[in-house]
Amino acid sequence: MKRITILFFILAAPFSVLAQEEPFQTVITPAFSPVTWERLLNASDEPENWLMYSGTLDSQRYSKLDEINTSNVSELEMKWSYQIPVIDRAETVPMVVDGVMFITEAPSNLVAVDAQTGRVYWRYDHDLPEDLRICCGRNNRGVAILGETLFMSTLDAHLVAIDARTGNVLWDKEVADYEAGYSKTAAPLIVKDKVITGIAGGEFGIRGFIDAYDPVTGDLIWRTYAIPAPGEPGNDTWSGDSWKTGGAATWITGSYDPDLNLIYWGTGNPGPDWNGDVRLGDNLYSDAALALNGDTGELVWHFQFTPHDVHDYDSIQVPILADIQYQGSTRKVMMWANRNAFFYTIDRATGEFLEGKAYASQTWAQGLDANGRPIRVPGMAPTYEGILVSPPIVGATNWYSPGYSQQTGLFYVTSFDGEQEFFKRDEDYEEGERFTGGGGRYNQPMDAFHSSIRAINPETAEIAWEFPIMPRSSAGISTTAGGLVFTGSADGYFFALDAATGEELWHISLGARVHAAPMTFSVDNKQYVTIASGNVVYTFGLPD
Amino acid sequence: MRLNSKFYWRGVLTTAAFSLSLLVNTSSHAEDAGNLYNTTFDVNAGERYFERQCSRCHGFDAKGDEETGAPDLTGRLNRASTNVGIYNIIREGIPGTAMLAIGANLPEAQVWQLVAYIDSLSTDPANVNLPGSAQAGNSLFTGTGNCGDCHMVNGRGGRQGPDLSKVGERRDPEELLNDLLNPHEDVAPRWWTMRVVGSDGTLREGLRMNEDSFSLRIMDEDANLWSFSKSQIQSLERVEESTMPSYSQTLNDSEIDDLVAYLFSLRKEN
Repeated sequence: MKRITILFFILAAPFSVLAQEEPFQTVITPAFSPVTWERLLNASDEPENWLMYSGTLDSQRYSKLDEINTSNVSELEMKWSYQIPVIDRAETVPMVVDGVMFITEAPSNLVAVDAQTGRVYWRYDHDLPEDLRICCGRNNRGVAILGETLFMSTLDAHLVAIDARTGNVLWDKEVADYEAGYSKTAAPLIVKDKVITGIAGGEFGIRGFIDAYDPVTGDLIWRTYAIPAPGEPGNDTWSGDSWKTGGAATWITGSYDPDLNLIYWGTGNPGPDWNGDVRLGDNLYSDAALALNGDTGELVWHFQFTPHDVHDYDSIQVPILADIQYQGSTRKVMMWANRNAFFYTIDRATGEFLEGKAYASQTWAQGLDANGRPIRVPGMAPTYEGILVSPPIVGATNWYSPGYSQQTGLFYVTSFDGEQEFFKRDEDYEEGERFTGGGGRYNQPMDAFHSSIRAINPETAEIAWEFPIMPRSSAGISTTAGGLVFTGSADGYFFALDAATGEELWHISLGARVHAAPMTFSVDNKQYVTIASGNVVYTFGLPD
Repeated sequence: MRLNSKFYWRGVLTTAAFSLSLLVNTSSHAEDAGNLYNTTFDVNAGERYFERQCSRCHGFDAKGDEETGAPDLTGRLNRASTNVGIYNIIREGIPGTAMLAIGANLPEAQVWQLVAYIDSLSTDPANVNLPGSAQAGNSLFTGTGNCGDCHMVNGRGGRQGPDLSKVGERRDPEELLNDLLNPHEDVAPRWWTMRVVGSDGTLREGLRMNEDSFSLRIMDEDANLWSFSKSQIQSLERVEESTMPSYSQTLNDSEIDDLVAYLFSLRKEN
């Protein structure tokens, strides 16, 4: 032992002298710095970073970066790629803080890499039980940050706080019982001094909720259920005890308006999905947008897109907030392209319906009434024999993020014009078992259906342009001040469109399905754009 | 008389020797046993459970799902050749894939009912008596039927239609009969025809090898392979029909029965 100690001193001495004389040269400023609420509030003013799942609290996914623009995007080249070691669907949207990128991986892991090179700082592997109850694959969509702490959802329905500098676990809280069908996949949202997070499990007869946690202790501060209890307004929209197992999961990240102090969050399908006979009524607040008080979680208003849904048309879309010109004056609105094939522009202060039209193929509703409530086509509910309805279960769009450009004033969404046979089945609820009451079947190959990226004018709800793709895509969208729309496709492309016209400006074949949304950032004043395809995270930039 | 009204199934599913110990065996891994739960009631119960637990990935009709990548379970299974193999996959999942193990607390009987349903989806040739002669069908296929002009079997034949070397594993006799009589009814996109006018104004027509958002690839009638960028072509027409003619008028009932018998005999072991 003594000899080893001596040897260490002999070897270390010259290096310690050298370190004092010549500090490590390749890092000019230390990477990463704490992310305060003020920084999150003004995230659009530091476009070099991507500080939350949707980029900014209004979830526009619009970046002010314009080094990459319509005139040079065709020159993009790959800078680095990062291989996710666990093979599954990569639905992650990376986050970047001062040169450090945080990437969530399937099933519930997290890695921090150098945003310029993709090389690893640290990784966190979350221990999971073997008997998970998950409906739709093992995935995780991203993290939130406050101060020096990252917050991540896990498939066993936990919320984990992780030190951003080391990957060490600070706390690990059970949000709900995974054995009862609860799980978590979405990135949380920071609102002031709280971690806001939803829950998944709408195919297992759960009762959805939105939670707020203390970022330091992990203590639950408030919980707002997406299904009212007996005695609360709206409980009478569920027949019998069906509210107890009514779903309304909250499995995608919401948005926040600091001026109105309102949190906006979507809710999922009522359960069982395809058999509404056992839950007669409108089934509030399933398939709805909820506006919650940013401090207390109290429900301020709601807008239900699909009352008494029997087609699994979750309103699990990211709400996009913007102040737009509407009928001659500026209006604070929320824009929402729903899984049910209708686009909505809603006053986000009051929940008032302003505009709404179908943006994709649909056969289940004749249209929307003056309040935005769908006028149903009779006889389109699932049957035991099967009935053909559009959109199919996967929807006209789904959880993948839409985008909005402050330059064009247009809303962009990945859309699908498909149809499917819907079947109804009788099922009894059993805790931890699927509780869906039926299913669906395509009667044509996917290539027979039309898919596209559609640009929608939120003032009129009319389609401004569309760019056809094939087959159905589950990729999200990002927009930039460079006049660009970035997105991906199921056939493994990453591409850029002109945000004003929809003209294709650049594409590259990455070879594997894109389930994720792109994001952009810069380091040392050089802009990059990143997308996950297959199990690889790719980062592109202009030639050096 | 045609096969669809004539061929019959030999009756109940294959019987096998079972061990009573299976009933009380709570092990998560079955190694050497059969399935006692294979009555019609069990198959129906298995189907209901499949629809509830498995159809999200494998499809409501168990024919797989293009998007999830979950395989078609109605033909020969790639990863399990016996009921025990199916049981073990359900119980243990398939590591490295999206196929998760089923809940450990699910009763044995329910798992075996699921196995019985999946087993019922494929057609065991030993249980099928067909009216036609596979040998005569083989002669017809390579002879006057001219099927080999377009289809390969075991490395011999044409390229303008699907390779049929193992078609008996994925199509049952009724489906094969329908394929011969109504070839346009259920055409996979791979066998659609594309008519492409390229940047030079030349029209090229061929089978749709692959098409995506930005490009497409076809094979013309001389088996030449062509690749196009969609941004560089003048026009594109997609014909969602089969190039195969119906044989309802050109072959008699007996010949069609022979052809079905031959096609159904084409499987890996043969």
